[in-house]
Amino acid sequence: MNSGKSIMNTSAVSADTQMKAVGKKFQVTGISNGLVSGLTYGIYSTLVVVASGYNPLVSAAGILAAPFVASGLNDLFAGIWLLFYNAKQGRLRELGRTLKTKPGKMLVIGFLLGGPIANGAYLVGLALAGAYAIPISATCSLFGALFAWIFLKQRPTKRVVLGMLMCVAGAIVINFVKPQGAPNFTLGIICALIAAVAWGLEGVFSSFGGAMIDTDVAVNLRELISGLFALLIVVPLIGGGIKLLGGTLSAPSPMLWLAIAGMSAAISFVSWYKANSMVGCAVGMSLNVTYAFWGVLFSVLFLGQAFTPTIVIGSIVIVLGAIVVTMNPLDLFRKGDA
Amino acid sequence: MLLPSRMAVLNHMFDKDEVDVKSVMAALKDDYGNEKQFNEKMYLDHLMALEANGLAEMSSYDLNENGDLVMKYKITDDGKSTVEKYVDKRYRVA
Repeated sequence: MNSGKSIMNTSAVSADTQMKAVGKKFQVTGISNGLVSGLTYGIYSTLVVVASGYNPLVSAAGILAAPFVASGLNDLFAGIWLLFYNAKQGRLRELGRTLKTKPGKMLVIGFLLGGPIANGAYLVGLALAGAYAIPISATCSLFGALFAWIFLKQRPTKRVVLGMLMCVAGAIVINFVKPQGAPNFTLGIICALIAAVAWGLEGVFSSFGGAMIDTDVAVNLRELISGLFALLIVVPLIGGGIKLLGGTLSAPSPMLWLAIAGMSAAISFVSWYKANSMVGCAVGMSLNVTYAFWGVLFSVLFLGQAFTPTIVIGSIVIVLGAIVVTMNPLDLFRKGDA
Repeated sequence: MLLPSRMAVLNHMFDKDEVDVKSVMAALKDDYGNEKQFNEKMYLDHLMALEANGLAEMSSYDLNENGDLVMKYKITDDGKSTVEKYVDKRYRVA
């Protein structure tokens, strides 16, 4: 006799239950994507250094040619992998559509900053200062918050300022003891800082309606544009650049490593943006920044990077600082209760 | 040329009180219906990503007659001003 009521009750409960399950799955997928993005970015950072250890890259003259050839090829590879991925999803047409829109054009300006400029500087930094450049580049969230303050009038909270100071403190710790036999160490650190600044600025350009753009499409454009710009415009301007590019293209070992590095970078970016759109940019960025741990760890394990107290403490402080900039760590626990 | 699909979804929501993935897809079917990416998973992704970016919010959820969960979304003020600022006038619904 009260079957009608009980049916209604069951359906209401199961709508709630289903919704909770969807929300929980969303959260878990988002967090795993964030962690994967950090891990794969660490792998990418390590593999690019491996690729640069082969001829002709390792014996290239000057400090600019090899990093830009390597980063251009890496990004182009990442862009090609992503073309396959997006073709499989049936959204290749979205690339052209996106470029036609205002938010798409703003994103492209950001890509040029974050791609050739930041990536190139990051790799010059890696080449000159070794793994020390990795945590330094992680201060990009500091610059992101700073530029949002200057250009977008988003005032930072006390928490954000605290995180910024931690990033700076970590960077100072890392520079406290210079490693032996790295004559251009400080220049390398400055390059890593340039990368962080450009990445921070890239974020600003995504705030002009960029949230309406499918991130898988945006990432694809970013890697293609960045790779083509580096290879077709920057490399020819560098003395010996073209010759090095030609030599690298015909060398199987570095090309193979760059292709794998490009795939790691592609996975990293796709999962990073996915994480951002599932658990929010703050948590997404905080999880992504764990790449500094992975990058340093892999460099110590596989590349013979010296394991010193300053690099360990400095990287931990920067990663913690970057997390504090992007989110309130207490929220993680609060969300667990809800 | 058509708008990128995520942008088209938000643009469509501009003057609607509430949408779900099926109503969005029905409205965009004429333009995007023949594309491989035109599927519920992808369009639900669009709605959820717009929600995560604060441009849309979930207004309600319930089960339909088949017992499937249906989530309804509506555009936020942020979403409206983003459409007004960045979507070309000739595409706008209102």
